[in-house]
Amino acid sequence: MIQKKICMLGAFAVGKTSLVKRFVESIYSDKYHTTVGVKIDKKSVTAGGQEVNLLLWDIQGEDGVQKLRPSYLRGAAGYILVVDGTRRETLDTAYAIQQSAQQTIGLVPFVIVINKTDLTEQWALDEAAIGELTASGWSVYRTSAKTGQYVEEAFLTLAEKIMEA
Amino acid sequence: MAEPTPPDVLDKAAQNNHPANGDGLDELRRLLIGPEQQELVRIQERLERQEALLPEDVGRVLPEAVTLRSRQDKKVTEALLPTVEEAIGISVRKDPQTLVDALFPVIGPAIRRAISEALSGMVQTMNQTLEHSLSPQGLRWRLEAWRTGRSFAEVVLLHTLLYRVEQVFLIHRETGLLLGHVTAGESAVQDADMVSGMLTAIQDFVHDSFSAGQSDALETLQVGELTVWIEQGPRAILAGVIRGQAPQELRNLFRETLERIHREFAAELESFEGDAEVFAPAKQYLEACLQTQYDASRRAERRRVTPIRVVAVALLLALLVGGFFYVRGRRRWGGYLARLQHEPGIVLTSAERGWWKHSIAGLRDPLSIDPQALLKDYKLDPSSIDARWEPYHSLTPQFVLARANALLGPPDGVRLRVERNTLFATGSAPHRWISETRRLVRVIPGLEQFDETGLVDESLGAAQAVKERAESRTILFLLDTTELAQGQAAEVEALASDLRELYRLAPAAGRNVRVEVVGHTDQLGAEETNLQLSRERAEQVRVLLAAKLGDRFQLTARGVGAHEPVREERTEEDRQLNRCVTVRITLQDGA
Repeated sequence: MIQKKICMLGAFAVGKTSLVKRFVESIYSDKYHTTVGVKIDKKSVTAGGQEVNLLLWDIQGEDGVQKLRPSYLRGAAGYILVVDGTRRETLDTAYAIQQSAQQTIGLVPFVIVINKTDLTEQWALDEAAIGELTASGWSVYRTSAKTGQYVEEAFLTLAEKIMEA
Repeated sequence: MAEPTPPDVLDKAAQNNHPANGDGLDELRRLLIGPEQQELVRIQERLERQEALLPEDVGRVLPEAVTLRSRQDKKVTEALLPTVEEAIGISVRKDPQTLVDALFPVIGPAIRRAISEALSGMVQTMNQTLEHSLSPQGLRWRLEAWRTGRSFAEVVLLHTLLYRVEQVFLIHRETGLLLGHVTAGESAVQDADMVSGMLTAIQDFVHDSFSAGQSDALETLQVGELTVWIEQGPRAILAGVIRGQAPQELRNLFRETLERIHREFAAELESFEGDAEVFAPAKQYLEACLQTQYDASRRAERRRVTPIRVVAVALLLALLVGGFFYVRGRRRWGGYLARLQHEPGIVLTSAERGWWKHSIAGLRDPLSIDPQALLKDYKLDPSSIDARWEPYHSLTPQFVLARANALLGPPDGVRLRVERNTLFATGSAPHRWISETRRLVRVIPGLEQFDETGLVDESLGAAQAVKERAESRTILFLLDTTELAQGQAAEVEALASDLRELYRLAPAAGRNVRVEVVGHTDQLGAEETNLQLSRERAEQVRVLLAAKLGDRFQLTARGVGAHEPVREERTEEDRQLNRCVTVRITLQDGA
């Protein structure tokens, strides 16, 4: 069976952990974030015609790119960049993180997830900004960890991309 | 330089042809490709002289050439090997410092790490040894070592290896993905994939958080009874979950296993893309790490009744009983010896306690207590003791006195006492005993002097009494005559009797008797006459006494006239009394 390491990246409180929770059954409690700074979960999916074990490294959110630990990123086959749709600045952080990650592990597949679509009233991202992302060829998903909307799809797409690579 | 060079030839030809103007083609050729022609000629010359390659040319292409060839095969490396080796050799000989400086950053941490690991292993071993030698368990193991004839270290090892490696993870270092996982028996296992990732993450976390050196890594996790030992390789990590206390050797096994996997799966590790299937053959090595040294069967065996166990218990009982008797026997023997040591007249020179027979030797005064008789006080069997006593004379006052009593046999009225070489006698004793004692005191060991100030010579006393009685007698005469007065014959007889007794007593007291018969007169009459009369009176009594006593006695007679009156003369009665004869007796120390 093929295994792949995937990192969850994004600014503080964008909903990385909630997304993973939607996606997997975990053996570790959320406490691990505060103690170790990382929590690892597993999800088996079918991608590229075979079963793949995704090991999700959910890294504690940081509002500074500098604090992104290279050792956590090392060996990742892909990553998910999470943006909080209600906070414009998290998109900038995502850009910075993407740059940083690319420097560390090179060009590996990733998807952008704009989370918290359920909070329509507080939505802060305009279509133009999102369109800019899609235009540069990035895969963008608008998800809600609360309702589970498009969560599965985002992960599956990443898995497919990884297997294609 | 013997042959002309082609350019010269060409030039000459050109010059020669020029005035003739016959061959314009040559001229044209010279004009058009003159420099190229010259270059061609130069190259041709170099080729002919085999100087095709100039150092600068080689220098230009060498790096690329080496790179290209290295991709093809290992010929370059092989060719360079002797040169590089020699170069290093020369460098070291010339100035070792250069190489030392270059290697220092590598060697330093490696050595430090090796030393610290060796030390921590040693400390663990020492702790174990200490713990085992000072606890009741340690004592039990010592007993076991003694019983089985094994060395203590061996027994300790047998017991301390009570551990079990429950799981072994082989983890890809870069991705944290699981390459292989084996478990022992029924151990509870969480999802190994996630555990593997988490272990890697924790390692990274510790490494990053405490900014440890590049080569340092988390090596041990401890959770209650469980220990996770982590071995780091360049491409893979081996983690073993151990229940109980594992010895340092196990770590060596982990390390060797990891090294072996690195050797055999070098290519697979490098090109790992998430497919762990290729590492399936490594599983056997991981399984070899699942060591179990916790031996349930041996524990159960301990509780089973086996002939060896019965014999051991019997031996232990015998040992206890034997020990009791040994200790009791020892106490009795010790008590007996202490008693003998305090007993006067007994000097212990050697005492040996054997398993069956004891021996004792020393000096013993015949007057002291019998050591054999004392044995029963200490419940010791006389037949078990071989005693050799040399007789001697103890100078203890007590024994000196006992010997003096035995030898001198003092009469009833005498008590003897010994103090510092002196024999004191008190009471009254016959003169003979006293003089005998004076002589014998010097030959009794431990005595040098005889103090008889408290002793009365009873023979002399008796003689003195008779002497005084005899001296008090007066034999009266008639006035101016040598005629005995009325009834004085009886008095003479009494005096003779006294003297006879004295003669009998005096020799017993060691005295010679001298008797002087003294004649007296009253003061009437002339002195000359009186002296004469007194002499005659004395002589008469002497003769009378001599007749009664026989020749054996020395009697002398003298007259004193009125000079030594018996009583002061005042009356007629006094005068009558002074007309008499008396005796003076001397008891001389006789030889």
